[in-house]
Amino acid sequence: MRKFAIAAGGAALALAAALAVSLPSTAQDNPKLEQLKAQGFARVAIANEPPFTAVAADGKVSGAAPDVAREIFKRLGVPEIVASISEYGAMIPGLQAGRHDVVTAGLFMKPERCAAVAYSEPVLCDAEAMLVKKGNPKGFKSYADVARDPSATIGAPGGGTEEKLALDAGVPRDRVIVVPDGQSGLKMVQDGRIDAYSLPVLSINDLMMKANDPNLEVIAPVQGAPVYCDGAAFKKGDEALRDAFNVELAKMKESGDFAKIIEPYGFSAAAAMSTSMEKLCAPAQ
Amino acid sequence: MEWDWNFVWQIMPTLIQGVKITILATLLGSLLAAAFGLAIALLRRSPNRAVSRTTAFVAEFIRGTPLLVQLYVIFYVLPDIGILLPPLLAGVIGLGLHYGTYTAEVYRAGIDNVPRGQWEAAKACNLTERQTWIRVILPQALPPMIPALANYFIAMFKETPLLSAITVLELMNQAKSVANSSYRYIEPITMVGAFFLAISLVSVVALRWLEHRYGRIER
Repeated sequence: MRKFAIAAGGAALALAAALAVSLPSTAQDNPKLEQLKAQGFARVAIANEPPFTAVAADGKVSGAAPDVAREIFKRLGVPEIVASISEYGAMIPGLQAGRHDVVTAGLFMKPERCAAVAYSEPVLCDAEAMLVKKGNPKGFKSYADVARDPSATIGAPGGGTEEKLALDAGVPRDRVIVVPDGQSGLKMVQDGRIDAYSLPVLSINDLMMKANDPNLEVIAPVQGAPVYCDGAAFKKGDEALRDAFNVELAKMKESGDFAKIIEPYGFSAAAAMSTSMEKLCAPAQ
Repeated sequence: MEWDWNFVWQIMPTLIQGVKITILATLLGSLLAAAFGLAIALLRRSPNRAVSRTTAFVAEFIRGTPLLVQLYVIFYVLPDIGILLPPLLAGVIGLGLHYGTYTAEVYRAGIDNVPRGQWEAAKACNLTERQTWIRVILPQALPPMIPALANYFIAMFKETPLLSAITVLELMNQAKSVANSSYRYIEPITMVGAFFLAISLVSVVALRWLEHRYGRIER
């Protein structure tokens, strides 16, 4: 999959290079956007965590975050996005290393991430949830409840917001299990390897719907965990591209096209429009 | 990209936790591989066709499939039939079975290298099959194999990062979780490489010594 993307990318790059020679370069104020236009695609990092990001069995990339990005890039004159699946923790280093142009993966804004990347305005907002066995045998309501029970273990994606929330709530490192993907997390709860698996509400609901297992239960929202919003994350230094992205995002929010893309996935457009990147990136009080 | 020594010292305790698990997994995996390999090698020589054929098939099957796939099966699929193993145990079994099929070939070569005369002499002395194996064949076959076996154990050591796929918090996984929260890869991953290199180099010295001590066949 990735190899193919690289090969396709390479071919497209060669083609773009050939085109670039014949086309006179236009605006100099946004060289990154011009470069993306010339190559004809933007490389995005995704996580394959429906409904935020999803890769269908045929390899087609969907999910609310890439769909919004695809539409905005189209409006900016970049016809296609090429997605590569990455761990949450690897997205920001990958962005800094130039492996992708933007992260559109439900990477929630938190002050320390805001310090590392240039976020767009909010796109997708969601609260946190936990997946547990039917009846919630350990009585979890918050991450602090997991910390209090010395035998309780919680699974979370590596480098994801939930891992950090659990650690911050005082769950020791050896009881926070790094789970590679949603399917594994679900399986580990079913098998009793972990007592809870934590993801955003919509992701957990999506897993529950697919698993269709009556022995599981969702706790949502997790008490004490705030509602987070993600944004498209750009590399520091690509602020011009980010600003162009924001302009189109604002237009789409106003026209209702934004709601039309994300609401079928279960996200609330009103939630994203009620807050701003500045508020979400402000250090916690 | 710049190297930050303060950050290195800060993450060192976490990485050392990982090194311990990595070494533990390798040692336990090696013991299992040594025992499992010997069992395969002996069963493959069984005069009973059904036993030797079945063993050969199982060994080829394990040897011909990727370790990562086997780890997923042991960790995520076995619970469906009621076998729930803790991550480290599942990892050790995976490593042990996989490398056991390699070590079985080492054992086979070692056993084949014992001259026919030894078998005949054992028979002439009216030793039982058990006595022949334990008192005559294995004591001559095992020492020359030790360096080759140790080689596989070093290889196994370097494959332990695969265990991070089944949530074992070994060195690689610890480094990844450090990188996940700091957004820095250069120090943690370089340190992982340094740890592996340091331990491998020590192992190579030990291996030389083993070769020197046991490599020559004395007859």
